[in-house]
Amino acid sequence: MMNYSDYSNNAIEVSRLTVTYNSKPVLDNVDLTLPRGKLAAIIGPNGAGKTTLVKAILGLIPKVEGEIVFPELGGKKPKIGYVPQSESIDWDFPVSVLDVAVMGCFGRLGWVKRPTRDDKNFALQILKKTGMEQYAGRQISQLSGGQQQRVFIARALVQKADIYIMDEPFKGVDADTERSIIALLKELRTAGKTVVAVHHDLATVKDYFDHVTLINTKVIANGEVEKVFTDENLDLTYRRSGKAGREQ
Amino acid sequence: MNAEIEIQLIAVLTAASCAIPGVFLVLRKMSMTSDSITHTILLGIVLAFFVVKDLSSPFLLIGAAVMGPVTVWLTELLTKTGLLSEDSATGMVFPLLFAIAVILITRYAGTAHLDTDSVLLGELAFAPFDRLIIGGLDMGAKGVYISGALLIVNVVFTAVFYKEILVVSFDPVLASVMGFSPAVMHYGLMGMASLTAVGAYEAVGSVLVTAFMIAPAAAAYLLTEDLKKMLVISVVIGGVCGIAGYQTAAFFEVSIAGAMACWAGGIFLCAVLWSWWRRKQAAKRVIKNIIGKES
Amino acid sequence: MNIFSDHTFLVVSMGSAALGVASGAVGSFAVLRKQSLLGDGVSHAALPGVAAAFLITGIRSSGILLLGALLSGILAALLISVITKCSKVKFDAALAAVMSGFFGLGTVLLTCAQKLPNAAQSGISTFIYGQASAMLEDDVIFITALSAVLIALILIFWKEFKLFCFDRDFSVQSGFSEKKISLLMSFMTVVTVILGIQTVGVVLMSAMLIIPAAAARQWSDRLFANIILAAFFGGLSGVVGALVSGLEQGIPTGPAIVIAASAIAALSLLFAPRRGVVSNFLKRKISRFRLKRSER
Repeated sequence: MMNYSDYSNNAIEVSRLTVTYNSKPVLDNVDLTLPRGKLAAIIGPNGAGKTTLVKAILGLIPKVEGEIVFPELGGKKPKIGYVPQSESIDWDFPVSVLDVAVMGCFGRLGWVKRPTRDDKNFALQILKKTGMEQYAGRQISQLSGGQQQRVFIARALVQKADIYIMDEPFKGVDADTERSIIALLKELRTAGKTVVAVHHDLATVKDYFDHVTLINTKVIANGEVEKVFTDENLDLTYRRSGKAGREQ
Repeated sequence: MNAEIEIQLIAVLTAASCAIPGVFLVLRKMSMTSDSITHTILLGIVLAFFVVKDLSSPFLLIGAAVMGPVTVWLTELLTKTGLLSEDSATGMVFPLLFAIAVILITRYAGTAHLDTDSVLLGELAFAPFDRLIIGGLDMGAKGVYISGALLIVNVVFTAVFYKEILVVSFDPVLASVMGFSPAVMHYGLMGMASLTAVGAYEAVGSVLVTAFMIAPAAAAYLLTEDLKKMLVISVVIGGVCGIAGYQTAAFFEVSIAGAMACWAGGIFLCAVLWSWWRRKQAAKRVIKNIIGKES
Repeated sequence: MNIFSDHTFLVVSMGSAALGVASGAVGSFAVLRKQSLLGDGVSHAALPGVAAAFLITGIRSSGILLLGALLSGILAALLISVITKCSKVKFDAALAAVMSGFFGLGTVLLTCAQKLPNAAQSGISTFIYGQASAMLEDDVIFITALSAVLIALILIFWKEFKLFCFDRDFSVQSGFSEKKISLLMSFMTVVTVILGIQTVGVVLMSAMLIIPAAAARQWSDRLFANIILAAFFGGLSGVVGALVSGLEQGIPTGPAIVIAASAIAALSLLFAPRRGVVSNFLKRKISRFRLKRSER
């Protein structure tokens, strides 16, 4: 039986979050909620604090003011999967595609325990789903940008998470891969998972996402794409006057 | 066991055990940390000596082993202020600690025969004279046991925490999301590197420990694209350096540790040349394919 | 006896000051390019040059040994840059492998050299620790002259260096060859390091490049002010180090200079206006206080 009191429609609740760097605020009193089972985009200009917000949600910034809560789902703490920004990866690291995908199960295993044959098979299965099975033995630097992105999405899927956090999943990706990634994300949504992605391309927001957060140090707007993704809000976010140049 | 074999055994075991932490230092782009740790060992020994006032006490080694993580911690403390880049912080901390050690030695320990040359340079040729004697029975050279134990500790640590070291080195963000504290693993690795440096300096001298940590690992980095293979290859290269270095040194009557380091550097350079040649071949093949398609 | 009229002290402090000025100025560029540790690598790599020069010529004159050191230092610096260009090995690993390999070769050559009849023992500990007290008037003139040349080079190539440190791509676009500028800078680092090895030794020489430059960086964001300050801090720590080691028994000059420089750096890191740890802390407190008041 699901206990009604601990049920919440929000996957992530951020309240009064303030992060400063060298006494300059990067995030200033941020309040926002991200809905469960939806695809949510975080949008804002460079230096608006998007990556900082992601890092804070992942618990990587030790000293923050404010609170970040992940409401429990059926009495269980939600698991968080994560897809890194591709610049933060050392592509020369001696690991194969399969090695990276298997890393996804490390969190479940806990300390010291090793991945079993079953874990490997599961990772292979996920690689098949992302169309990367044939590259399983390849070292990660020998992949195209789109393939690299797919490997890390596969790793997040192996994590069997409830909430997926992605820092620019479409960066350096060709149109085909972008389509297949978005299909995967929609599949995740169907399965009731939450996806939060930092996104750059304003033209595709309406097609790809259900929920959008416009941010520029402060939250400009947060809500359903139809209601919030308006020209006025975008002008406020990108601090531009008039309607010149939607594409940044 | 005769002295010659004992020396070679120590050389092989020492170089092989240095190669293991070396792999992770190279992958984590912290190679120069080994240089920093190996220098500050001297301060650890000096400080421990002032406490126990005995040159043969095992506390000296403990003092030295603790100094490694302390050096790393101080460097990180400086980096975290955001006022300095990491390399500058490294370059500030270890010379300072080294300078303090030198002053302490010249000023206060002059009469104690604290031999700084043997710390910095080591002397493998004398290793067989230091015997392990249990109940009046000669069990062999102490160095063999020390370097053997070191290799076992490093292999076991790496095997047990392989998964954790891999994920922390490759993607620390993922590691911390998964609950493997990057800081814990980081200091665990630094502890291993420091312990290895301490175990190795008596044989090869602290300055050359860097050679056996980094050169085999960097060579293996070029020879394979698989982490497990990289570990094995660098240990093997370390072993080869031990034997080849000893033979060279015996033939030309020169420093054993120095000759071993030459071999390590030489093998690394060969690996660089080999990988460069392979890249060229690969590039040629690509060009050929393109031309082939066009015609 | 008044220390300031002591001839040895004057020579040592003059030499240390000149060395400090040169290494502060040259080191600023190394720190800005995030290649601080290159000096450390080069100083270790000079050993085989010293030993080989002695083996080949059989003469123990400092001029020939310095030339050997210079050549092997430059060779090592070139090797490091070639390795990082031609393979996936990163700068730190290339540096560590090359410098320790060279040092190994150096110890091998030294053991050869010690077999020669006119070889003095313990060449290596002078190399590691330096021997400032053995400095002669000629050495001081030599160091001062070369320091002047190095500073003149900085002034001549000021525009190129500044652009290169600030924005490498733009500098290449503007037609300044990356290879040439980078080589010239590395060459200057090598020369400075070789100059200092005799005085403060291998390990501490690398500190002379980094510490004054890192201290100066805290006080100003302008490159010119940075370099002037770094040179001043370097010179100051040279004099203070020589003074302390002259006044106190059993404190060698090299380590004393490094500790003086570290003290300056510690003060800079803590108390420099705008960037320092203390002023940053105060600023944060004040802004929080203001924020609270405005909320009320």
